[in-house]
Amino acid sequence: MEGLFFNVNNGYIEGIVRGYRNGLLTGANYTNMTQCETIDDLKLQLGPAYGDFLSSLPPNPSTSSIAAKTTDKLVAEFRYVRANAVGSLAKFMDYLTYGYMIDNVALLITGTLHERDTRELLERCHPLGWFETMPVLCVATNIEELYNSVLIETPLAPYFKGSLSHQDLDELNIEIVRNTLYKNYLEDFYQFVNSHPDMVGTPTAEVMSEMLEFEADRRAINITLNSFGTELSKADRNKLYPSFGMLYPEGTLMLSRADDFEGVRLAVEGVQDYKTFFEAAGLGGGAGGPGNMAGGSGTEGKTLEDMFYQKEMEISKGAFTRQFTYAIVYAWVKLREQEIRNITWIAECIAQNQKDRINNYISVF
Amino acid sequence: MSGAADREAVFPTRQSLGLMKAKLKGAETGHSLLKRKSEALTKRFREITRRIDEAKRKMGRVMQIASLSLAEVTYAVGGNIGFQIQESARSARFRIRAKQENVSGVLLPTFESYLTEGNNDFAMTGLGKGGQQVQRCRETYARAVEALVELASLQTAFVILDEVIKVVNRRVNAIEHVIIPRTENTIKYINSELDELDREEFYRLKKVANKKQQDVAAQDAEIKRLKLEQEARGKKQAVADEPETSAGPAELLEAEGDEDVIF
Repeated sequence: MEGLFFNVNNGYIEGIVRGYRNGLLTGANYTNMTQCETIDDLKLQLGPAYGDFLSSLPPNPSTSSIAAKTTDKLVAEFRYVRANAVGSLAKFMDYLTYGYMIDNVALLITGTLHERDTRELLERCHPLGWFETMPVLCVATNIEELYNSVLIETPLAPYFKGSLSHQDLDELNIEIVRNTLYKNYLEDFYQFVNSHPDMVGTPTAEVMSEMLEFEADRRAINITLNSFGTELSKADRNKLYPSFGMLYPEGTLMLSRADDFEGVRLAVEGVQDYKTFFEAAGLGGGAGGPGNMAGGSGTEGKTLEDMFYQKEMEISKGAFTRQFTYAIVYAWVKLREQEIRNITWIAECIAQNQKDRINNYISVF
Repeated sequence: MSGAADREAVFPTRQSLGLMKAKLKGAETGHSLLKRKSEALTKRFREITRRIDEAKRKMGRVMQIASLSLAEVTYAVGGNIGFQIQESARSARFRIRAKQENVSGVLLPTFESYLTEGNNDFAMTGLGKGGQQVQRCRETYARAVEALVELASLQTAFVILDEVIKVVNRRVNAIEHVIIPRTENTIKYINSELDELDREEFYRLKKVANKKQQDVAAQDAEIKRLKLEQEARGKKQAVADEPETSAGPAELLEAEGDEDVIF
């Protein structure tokens, strides 16, 4: 039933996005890329997919410029899709950009705290998180003004309101602010896909719930692991966990009490996927974290992070098996981001002549 | 060696000879001291060169690992976190202490790195994702900076030692090839001049002695001749005129005797 009128408004978008998905690099492409000897070879290999964006680069470009150009392509395509989206899909895509917006606002807050010229920071902001009134935030010279203008000018106001006051926006808390916002954003997004009349009961709600739950769990686990050895108290930590997901509420409660890697492992025991991740990561040196003296050369096996990415990619790939859903836009953006990361990683390995770990990329197609 | 012209402008006197001898002795002591210093420095220099070589290789390796770990961070965080890191750093965690090391009188600055405790400025960066990679990257870069500090300290020592060794060697060579020969020349010159003076003096004395002898001989001869003459005359007069032999007093006595006769 849900597919009956889907194509009236969103058929074109779905077609476009599916086309973009077919343009993603495949395993064979990646294999070819890893064989490259120089960045120029890599550029040539990327030709079919990114030719028009990479052609303006000088010979032997830096990895960061490749990353910037590949991101440009994603942004251009995203904007095109966004421009053609109507109704609830447009709203859905706006939700997608809020995550990047949070990063940008956090960046601007950091800049304002250190009394930098925030106009310079606008260039550093993620283009997907750009909103029209963002330059307005640069007018703010102190944190209170910024807080007020964020409340007024940005779509993020609901995430600020109620959970953060301008006193919270000091240096120490910037990461906490970011994660609080992200938590609120995830919860709101989850709420949105599960309550909007256009999406409730459709594959969109189903797939998006799975993705957002995974995202929430991943954040909860990461926050727990990364907070060991920092001054983040357990109570504060608990506030950063999104209140949904497969781990919620028992797992999150246990996470908030965890003191070490073992504690986290126990907390996620209930979910089969995470359990296997932790078992695999536990064998390969485990949590790492601040105490890991092995440095960059260690970690032969896959890290927890890698496995989370792998899982995310699989879920995203799975989203394309469903029809008449907005979730493919989300999945496509995630897949493209991973692709950019893969390209950057491979380019970095080639540039630094460290071929032994070049195969650490994640390819699902 | 340089000719007689290469000597110090001194008057060839005994005093300056003494001075020169003292100077030569000083120069020789100085030379051996400096030579030893130069050797010690060169030994140190070689050691430092070797260590620089090691440190550079180490740095190459460490930097490679470090930049790869940065790539890992970029991968895990999925974006550029440079600004975030820069802004959240408040006080330096990795610090350097400068010390001075004394190598045969040369003060070499050495840098010692240490980590300040409890300074965990961006521990929470990447809390959401990639935090572990960020921390690991920091550890790796801390080690890279450590290698750099070591290298910097060695390089500074290298430059300073190089300079000092050059100066010392120049001094050694100057003493060995200029000052010592010159002083020796001067001493030789003074000695020869003094000998010359001595010879001159001796000759003069000999001449004077000769002259004196001649004079004495001439006098003796004169006296002898006079004596002989007198004797000859005396013998003649002794027969003819007795009082004539002793000129004055005899005559006086005779005159008195004459008056006595008158009384």
